[in-house]
Amino acid sequence: MAGAWRRAPWLFSVANVGTFLLLWQWLASAGVLSDLFFPAPTAVFAELWEGFSTGFLWVHIGSSFQNFTIGLGLSCLIAIPLGLVMGANRYVDALVSPYVWALASMPSVALVPLLVLMLGFTDAAKISLIVLSAVFPIMINCMAGVKTVDKSLLTAGQVFGAKKRQLYSRVVLPSAAPFVISGVNQGMSQALIGLVVAEMFATRQGLGYLMVRAQESFNAPLLYGVLILLVVISLTFVEIMRRLEARVAPWQTLDGI
Amino acid sequence: MTVAYETDGGAGRFVALRDVDLEIRAGEFIAVVGPSGCGKTTLISTIAGIVKPCQGEVRVGGKPVVGPGPDRAMVFQNYALMPWRTVVANIRFGLEFQGRKLSKSEADARIERFIDLVGLRGFEKRYPYQLSGGMQQRVGIARALVGEPAILLADEPFGAVDAMTREAMQGELERILAATGQTVVLITHSIDEAITLADRVVVVSHRPGTVLEVVDVPLPRPRMDDAVRGSAEYARLREYTWNLLKGEALGAHEQSGPAA
Repeated sequence: MAGAWRRAPWLFSVANVGTFLLLWQWLASAGVLSDLFFPAPTAVFAELWEGFSTGFLWVHIGSSFQNFTIGLGLSCLIAIPLGLVMGANRYVDALVSPYVWALASMPSVALVPLLVLMLGFTDAAKISLIVLSAVFPIMINCMAGVKTVDKSLLTAGQVFGAKKRQLYSRVVLPSAAPFVISGVNQGMSQALIGLVVAEMFATRQGLGYLMVRAQESFNAPLLYGVLILLVVISLTFVEIMRRLEARVAPWQTLDGI
Repeated sequence: MTVAYETDGGAGRFVALRDVDLEIRAGEFIAVVGPSGCGKTTLISTIAGIVKPCQGEVRVGGKPVVGPGPDRAMVFQNYALMPWRTVVANIRFGLEFQGRKLSKSEADARIERFIDLVGLRGFEKRYPYQLSGGMQQRVGIARALVGEPAILLADEPFGAVDAMTREAMQGELERILAATGQTVVLITHSIDEAITLADRVVVVSHRPGTVLEVVDVPLPRPRMDDAVRGSAEYARLREYTWNLLKGEALGAHEQSGPAA
């Protein structure tokens, strides 16, 4: 048993989740669980299967994915340079940081009414909410990355003759790189929240909208199906970022999880 | 030479070093010992050109120091290696910002030579986090020497490694320097390290740091030899230096005594 555990730890996960699903299936089909609240896993997967084969799920996934990528991309474009400059230049920091901290501490969901008022039920409103959700964690991490650069590395850079600009490009930036990645990582989970919320309130497309529609039509299997999709999407992104981090900053992830 | 810092608020000045006058000959190994907080690191930073004296100057080869330069390089107590660079790339860091351009192949050949000299062959592609403290400091030493500086500055280079590695590294340093004929200024709090490695030991007083005495160490080399370290002369020098420092350490204790 212990040997099998070491060789294939994923086997345990498969058995674990499999048992859970079987139990759920059994309770649902025995009528212990209400169909409306806890539909059988088979019904959920059948719904997903139908959604994929008829193609209507793809439309919503595509719309969500597009807004998510644009939103996150814009967030990175804004937040990474600004965050890195904020960390290095105290004037920029002093100028920008009151707004950054104010907006960062506000739940971005609270901006939905304002955004709908200004932009209506458009993709622009959705992307705006995603950007407003993701931009601050990224910015703050980038800033912290620059500020927490090891002082002795800066001294070493100076002693070996690096000028200010070289110090920034060869010492500060590489040492901030892991922070940038973990900022993007945090931004990504915030962006996902922003996406779903925006779609629930401000749209006729996307996975968030699909859940609202499923709820209105009492289609619990579809609701569960979309939730599973969101979990899968989220985990995929997290894993991609984890690998990227291990590649870019192996010294950081050495004794991490 | 005097080095002072403006204290916070600019209300007063904190004088780290006062009237330090020291002449170091080419090829000489100088060790600087003193109680903690005596300005040893300030002294070496001033020579490196990252701290400016407010009175007097540092001259290297007759020319006043106005900032860091390729004629001086430093080895750091905490190694200060770039964690994102491999051993080779970290050593190359010592060449990257020097005014005079080496061709790529010249630089590579130079780096190869120092990898052999410090005994890092086979570890070129490793990252610092994959190396022991002693190995990391070898990288630090190679990075400092690769630019062939006139003066090697070392700020407690073996302060962060364990006692056994420390002994071994002192022997390594002696061997490496015998090969390069380098001028060295070594900061240390270990009298043994100072006497084992240096031609002259500069004893610095408690703050503001002034030179108490410069002790000549006329012991034969190599000194990592038991016969040398067990000799009566070694013991005498050790005790003499210790007595100089003991007065300082006690003085420091009284100054910052129980009332303060």
